[in-house]
Amino acid sequence: MDWGSRDRGPRVGAMSSFCSFSPQVSVINTVDTSHEDMIHDAQMDYYGTRLATCSSDRSVKIFDVRNGGQILIADLRGHEGPVWQVAWAHPMYGNILASCSYDRKVIIWKEENGTWEKTYEYTGHDSSVNSVCWAPHDYGLILACGSSDGAISLLSYTGDGQWEVKKISNAHTIGCNAVSWAPAVVPGSLIEQPSSQKPNYIKRFASGGCDNLVKIWKEEEGQWKEEQKLEAHSDWVRDVAWAPSIGLPTSTIASCSQDGRVFIWTCDDASGNSWSPKLLHKFNDVVWHVSWSITANILAVSGGDNKVTLWKESVDGLWACISDVNKGQGGVSAVTEGQQNEQ
Amino acid sequence: MDENLLATAATNGVVVTWNLGKPSRNKQDQLFTEHKRTVNKVCFHPTEVYMLLSGSQDGYMKCFDLRKKDSVSTFSGQSESVRDVQFSIRDYFTFAATFENGNVQLWDIRRPDRYERMFTAHNGPVFCCDWHPEDRGWLATGGRDKMVKVWDMNTTRAKEIYCVQTIASVARVKWRPECKHHIATCSMMVDHNIYVWDVRRPFIPSAMFEEHKDVTTGIVWRHLHDPYFLLSGSKDSTLYQHIFKDASQPIDRANPEGLCYSLYGDLAFAAKESLISSDSNRKPYIGDRRHPIFFKRKLDPTEQFEYISSSSALSVFETDVESGSMDWFVHTAKQYALAGRPLAELCDHNAKVAKGLDRNQVAQTWTMLRIIYSSLGTVSSTNLNHSMGKGSTALPLMNSFNLKDIPAGLGSESRLDRSKGESRTENILMDSSSTLINNEDNEETEGSDVPADYLLGDVEADEDDLYMMDHENPHAEEQEYSLPQEAFPLRHEIVDNPSALDHLQDKADSPHVSGNEAETVSLTPVESFSLISISHSLYENRLPSDFFNPIVRDTLLFYAEQGDVQTAVSVLIVLGERIRKEIDEQTQEHWYTSYIDLLQRFQLWNISNEVIKLSTCRAINCLNQASTTLHVNCSNCKRPMSNRGWICDRCRQCASMCAVCHHVVKGLFVWCQGCSHGGHLQHIMKWLETSSHCPAGCGHLCEYT
Repeated sequence: MDWGSRDRGPRVGAMSSFCSFSPQVSVINTVDTSHEDMIHDAQMDYYGTRLATCSSDRSVKIFDVRNGGQILIADLRGHEGPVWQVAWAHPMYGNILASCSYDRKVIIWKEENGTWEKTYEYTGHDSSVNSVCWAPHDYGLILACGSSDGAISLLSYTGDGQWEVKKISNAHTIGCNAVSWAPAVVPGSLIEQPSSQKPNYIKRFASGGCDNLVKIWKEEEGQWKEEQKLEAHSDWVRDVAWAPSIGLPTSTIASCSQDGRVFIWTCDDASGNSWSPKLLHKFNDVVWHVSWSITANILAVSGGDNKVTLWKESVDGLWACISDVNKGQGGVSAVTEGQQNEQ
Repeated sequence: MDENLLATAATNGVVVTWNLGKPSRNKQDQLFTEHKRTVNKVCFHPTEVYMLLSGSQDGYMKCFDLRKKDSVSTFSGQSESVRDVQFSIRDYFTFAATFENGNVQLWDIRRPDRYERMFTAHNGPVFCCDWHPEDRGWLATGGRDKMVKVWDMNTTRAKEIYCVQTIASVARVKWRPECKHHIATCSMMVDHNIYVWDVRRPFIPSAMFEEHKDVTTGIVWRHLHDPYFLLSGSKDSTLYQHIFKDASQPIDRANPEGLCYSLYGDLAFAAKESLISSDSNRKPYIGDRRHPIFFKRKLDPTEQFEYISSSSALSVFETDVESGSMDWFVHTAKQYALAGRPLAELCDHNAKVAKGLDRNQVAQTWTMLRIIYSSLGTVSSTNLNHSMGKGSTALPLMNSFNLKDIPAGLGSESRLDRSKGESRTENILMDSSSTLINNEDNEETEGSDVPADYLLGDVEADEDDLYMMDHENPHAEEQEYSLPQEAFPLRHEIVDNPSALDHLQDKADSPHVSGNEAETVSLTPVESFSLISISHSLYENRLPSDFFNPIVRDTLLFYAEQGDVQTAVSVLIVLGERIRKEIDEQTQEHWYTSYIDLLQRFQLWNISNEVIKLSTCRAINCLNQASTTLHVNCSNCKRPMSNRGWICDRCRQCASMCAVCHHVVKGLFVWCQGCSHGGHLQHIMKWLETSSHCPAGCGHLCEYT
């Protein structure tokens, strides 16, 4: 994509009103999704050109957000309950989107010749499926799904429209709320493997659940085993996000919880055994989401009070809030704009 | 109402009433055997104790007076089986009947000949219906099509006002007492749970009871005016009394917010508006305010959806150029020059690019690298002239250089530095050697010591030399140009160049390094560490550029750690062999793969390809060859060669025969894509000098590109 073709107008206009020496957040686009109920998730695709949203109204919508626009590309109907989360697969497998829903189903959608179709439906969970996450593309097409029945399913594409299912039952008692894959390059594999060989990836992912735990899972001889149990939260863990591995071979996970706390977990050693938590901040409300920037140096946190804050680690290892969306003019103006649009 | 009276219906069409108040063991009261087939439903009149209504599979509804032996009246629906009958709670004479074919009929019990109105409510059977306890016009129906619909009967045509989609066919619907918009449902198959919906929020149940292990067969609110207790029976042989506060509330599990960092640093954020104005939303429903477990909200698209970007404003408090937007990444990737020019030029160019994007730290790093790794002509003639114009010695020269390099847009701190630097030549130097800003002290001691030291003691250069330097500079530059035109200049240039002029320049450069570094230093400890070593270098003479390698390595590691793998990789490529050995292969490979992946995400294919090509990592280099396939035709039979060797599996002959010398080609083999004939590279080239026809004699006018 040509950067110049992006519409910078609104952003520049909004910025001009801000003090140029403090980081501010401004609204560049308000997408009218015409969803009929709450939106639960919004995900950008790999190239940042398309936005998938899902809502309680059972639909998944895909928008083209290039050039600052918002063109509805597809309205995917097939779920029979609120759709909690969507996830884009790596484009090397085509345009594939996974969605999970309260109706206990996971649906994998694929674009063929410009139209989106359901390509696979997984119904192996006994309760609401809360989270889906695609594995790094190096592993093949693998989807992890976390469900309220406590289990985590791993769906791997084996070709010819066939999917192989592995299930970790009772991964989190009461339920699993979030899953997030580790990036394909893991320090351990980097150091242990001679360079000439194709790296033998160690597949890992993190999950967060209603047992207040963050767990790290590792594949050993085709079986998924619990590798680590990270205890720090005092209430349901709502989201986990494994940071993209760009730069130093340190593994980092962000987790947020109902208890209002956000922890940053880091692991420096190659074996992946010693994780240490660092409290980012204690919020007054539930923290719903954590999301890393592409270079993993900024963490966006969204809390129950409709506030998004951006955090950055300073040189001395402390996390500092660099921007506050709701407090700043950007956030407020966004709210009023949104309301006006509805009226 | 008679609390002891019970009516049952059976599959054999019998309607039985029981009087629990009877003293005898046999409680049976009445027995009606008028229906021919299964009776699906019986219903007492809400106010008339003795009036009982039945609906049967045979398509008839009958009204019984329990004081009489036979039915009082029979209603023929004249369509299919009756699934449910319900007396209206408010209208004395009215009842509703639902049918297997999707219809709902309204009857007046005084007129058995014909229904009052009829409408089609569902696709497929309507299994149940329920009159709203308060609003007389509202009727809820549930069908096999998994829908619950609420109809407004006050208008002349029944109007669908709400529709709730459940996940299984709806067997029972029951309005929740005292709660205008709440309705409980259960299913007759698949789903064992009981849901309570707010009809205004049709997509997600507001409460859910999950106790039953098998299909729930019936639900009823325990009291007419008590919304807290629900009774249910199930095929799992249990009867439950559910207390409302035990219900699980799926909405509590629901994420009300979506958050996603886009590639470009934009942030997509979806949040619900009701959180902000939830109080105002809650007020209108006074009846429900007492039940805080209930989720109240306006139905309409109250969702606001925000799409937010964080700007990339530069902050003096944080080194935060890359805080939000990733535009810098794309710009930098496109504009960086990585090869094809002398090192110094590459560094200069890249520094300029970085500076143009307000990335001063990176710009300084590039400048620094140029100074470290290229020995001659590093200070451009313009710079020299500038300093000459000022008519000063080596020190102002550095100063002017520094001035030029400090971008205008920096914070006040650096501006201060600059202004001081203008007045005092040594200023920059001391600034570099100590990251503190206590200028006055240093100026006297270190600042004056260091330059004196090197000017007199080491090089013994005087002003004349410096003036001469200007004249010699063009030559120096040419020299510089000729050297690095080999892909990667040698590392030991500095040591190998013995002329005094070079020394002077080399020396002059060192302070530059530190001076430039000063900016970076104030921001990061990593840099300040490296600074110390540079300062030391002032006192040593003839340092090989190797000396700086650990520092450069640290710098790269620092950038990578900051998430700026772009700088790390670019420096890696530009410096090539100089730095390559300093950083272990795995880390390099990791940087390369990260950077390439990022470039591809930004769809910068050409740049990603260039990086792959220029990379010194084997694992990366071979990325470009991984998915390249050659399609070869057999030169004899002209068919595609399928197997890997050079023997065609059809004509069993070696396909790699030289058409000129008729020997098997070992080594370079060229062939014409048109006729599949070819041979030794030299032979074919020779042949084509004299003839453009194929040497094999096939008559093809061969083309080689």
